[in-house]
Amino acid sequence: MSSEPLLQVRNLTTQFFTEEGTVRAVDGISFDVYEGEIAGIVGESGAGKSVAAQSIVRLVEEPGEIVDGEVYFKGEPIVEFEEDDDGDLAPTDAMLTNEEMRRNIRGREIAIIFQDPMESLNPVYTVGGQLREFIEINREVGTSEAKAIAVDMLREVGIPDPESRYDEYPHQFSGGMRQRVLIAMALACEPSLIIADEPTTALDVTVEAQILELVDELQEKYGTSFIWVTHDMGVVAEICDRVNVMYLGEVVEQAEVDDLFHDSHHPYTEALLASLPRPDQTVEELNPIEGVMPEAINPPSGCRFHPRCPEAREVCARIHPDNRDVSEAGERTHRAACFRNDAFDVGYDESPPLEMTAGSGFSAGLTGETDAEAESGGEAE
Amino acid sequence: MAQRDTEQSFDESGGGVAEEEIESRVGLRYTLSQVRRDPTAMFGLYVVGFMTAIAIFAAFDHYVLDYWFAETFWMHPHRDPSNIQRLLPPAWSENVFGEGIWKYPLGTDHRGRDVLVRLFYGTRIAISVGFLSTAIGMVGGTIVGAVSGYYGEWIDDVLMRAVETLYAIPFLVLVIAFMAAFGRELVYAMIGVGIVQIPTFARLIRSRVVSVREEDYIEAARAAGVRDSRIILRHVIPNSFAPVLVQATLQVGVAILIVAGLSFLGFGAQPPTASWGQMINQSRDSMIVNPWFSIWPGMAILITVMAFNMFGDGLRDALDPRLQN
Repeated sequence: MSSEPLLQVRNLTTQFFTEEGTVRAVDGISFDVYEGEIAGIVGESGAGKSVAAQSIVRLVEEPGEIVDGEVYFKGEPIVEFEEDDDGDLAPTDAMLTNEEMRRNIRGREIAIIFQDPMESLNPVYTVGGQLREFIEINREVGTSEAKAIAVDMLREVGIPDPESRYDEYPHQFSGGMRQRVLIAMALACEPSLIIADEPTTALDVTVEAQILELVDELQEKYGTSFIWVTHDMGVVAEICDRVNVMYLGEVVEQAEVDDLFHDSHHPYTEALLASLPRPDQTVEELNPIEGVMPEAINPPSGCRFHPRCPEAREVCARIHPDNRDVSEAGERTHRAACFRNDAFDVGYDESPPLEMTAGSGFSAGLTGETDAEAESGGEAE
Repeated sequence: MAQRDTEQSFDESGGGVAEEEIESRVGLRYTLSQVRRDPTAMFGLYVVGFMTAIAIFAAFDHYVLDYWFAETFWMHPHRDPSNIQRLLPPAWSENVFGEGIWKYPLGTDHRGRDVLVRLFYGTRIAISVGFLSTAIGMVGGTIVGAVSGYYGEWIDDVLMRAVETLYAIPFLVLVIAFMAAFGRELVYAMIGVGIVQIPTFARLIRSRVVSVREEDYIEAARAAGVRDSRIILRHVIPNSFAPVLVQATLQVGVAILIVAGLSFLGFGAQPPTASWGQMINQSRDSMIVNPWFSIWPGMAILITVMAFNMFGDGLRDALDPRLQN
């Protein structure tokens, strides 16, 4: 692994300007992806995972807009903002144009595998034809050569009899097979980075396991980096090297996968892990996270997780924790945004515990307001 | 939230068989087999095919053989015959001008020319104008509608308002104004009628494109770095095209009707070229004494337009699974 990250994301902020107000879907996230690494982005529905993934290739759709932050890919500024003369944030001149993004980055350098393999193939063309189209566009080869590459790629991702299946239509493929085709499409243009946006969510577990194995194999063979977006901690454990846990538009913890699983520094991560069924334990009931994630349109004060956090103290509702280095000696970078860690000095230990305000599911928000919420203080940075 | 994180349960992929069944219903082969089961549509298709064959042959005789076939085996559709017998009735009847003869099975016109020959060669005008003007409207409307629907925002507003303005002007007035500006020839009638049809197609395809552009495969193509123009042409339009195809078959009939109306008013094919609308115009004076001269071209228009409508309706039923039992 080289020391310079392949992809650097700094303070990336994407907002949706809706009629109800501004939705801060991605609120200043930072992370790195190194060469040959699978980086996970994990979190519940609505945490902003997919928007973060789309922002990296600047494919956020209206009414969404990237409003701040930097994304550097191999040193090239995909997203870069600076203050203009009026003090407003504006994209810099160095930032790649849409045309450059389309021609040089999308497909060629960064490919995306989408969530639903059933919908991600155009029903009116043969599978091979679509694969060939993408190869022709991104690798500047002739039709016959592109076809040869396409057939090779289909074979590579484990499609039996690729020559004849090349001429078949998407509806003649099963879900797992289609996901393999999408992986072939992503890999065929030999990108340096593949963003996989919950690619196995729509598949059943056995097929999911096969796909994960395939990705692992291909990743080793081609050395491609991945950003794997998922809500499934099991998948994270299976294939990711580094993990970024997202909650309500923020990265709350990032660490190597082993550190994260065995020594998590954030109650949200712990709660996610605790909610997983474990084969080595028999329990009466699973241990879900209380409540539901609040709307990103009006996030809670202080730590955004505090209304659902079992360990929340008064200070958590008052001050917003930033993401700090909490790594112990001998550990690779481990960052977390929780006052429980010694890296923060805000008087967590002396602060009185909060009663949890989030009920489970339906009763959420009905359990009454706590004092802490009433006196929502300023955010500490 | 404007996000596609809908966590789907794992049973999504389980229904593979059912899904395949549904999707194969969209295929072209399936559509054709559905149309084949519909006798009305098939009748329409046969008539359309028959008329088109006549039109192609007539065009061949006109452009390539210079009416060699008509003169050798039949008679010239434009030239007045040497022995002029005006306004004869069909062969099996009689009127004030005399008894019908089998030389002129459907009778003669006001200059003694055979009505059947003129009907036969008039097919060329009706069919070519019907197809070509619809093609102009379809291509123009598809491009306008697809661009409008794909980009949305101000481009959509500008294009659709322009299209609606076009829609608001009575079509006959528009075509006649167009022909007054450019000329009375048939080709301008074709272009004019084509332009008149643009709004119909543009609005139709736009409504489809607006939903197709949200499909994941469009997003996938964008993520793969495919150019917008290519996405529109190769991915958006083919997936939005089925209703356009249905509309087009119906529009051919409409176009034939409009052009017949224009010919009747003296715009379009100029004498002595035979066209159905013009024949009806020429028959006005003799409508009482020899109504057959009006009836034949009228029937030709009626049958052709109805055939296109029958086929178009059948095609629509076949393409729309909701209308099936």
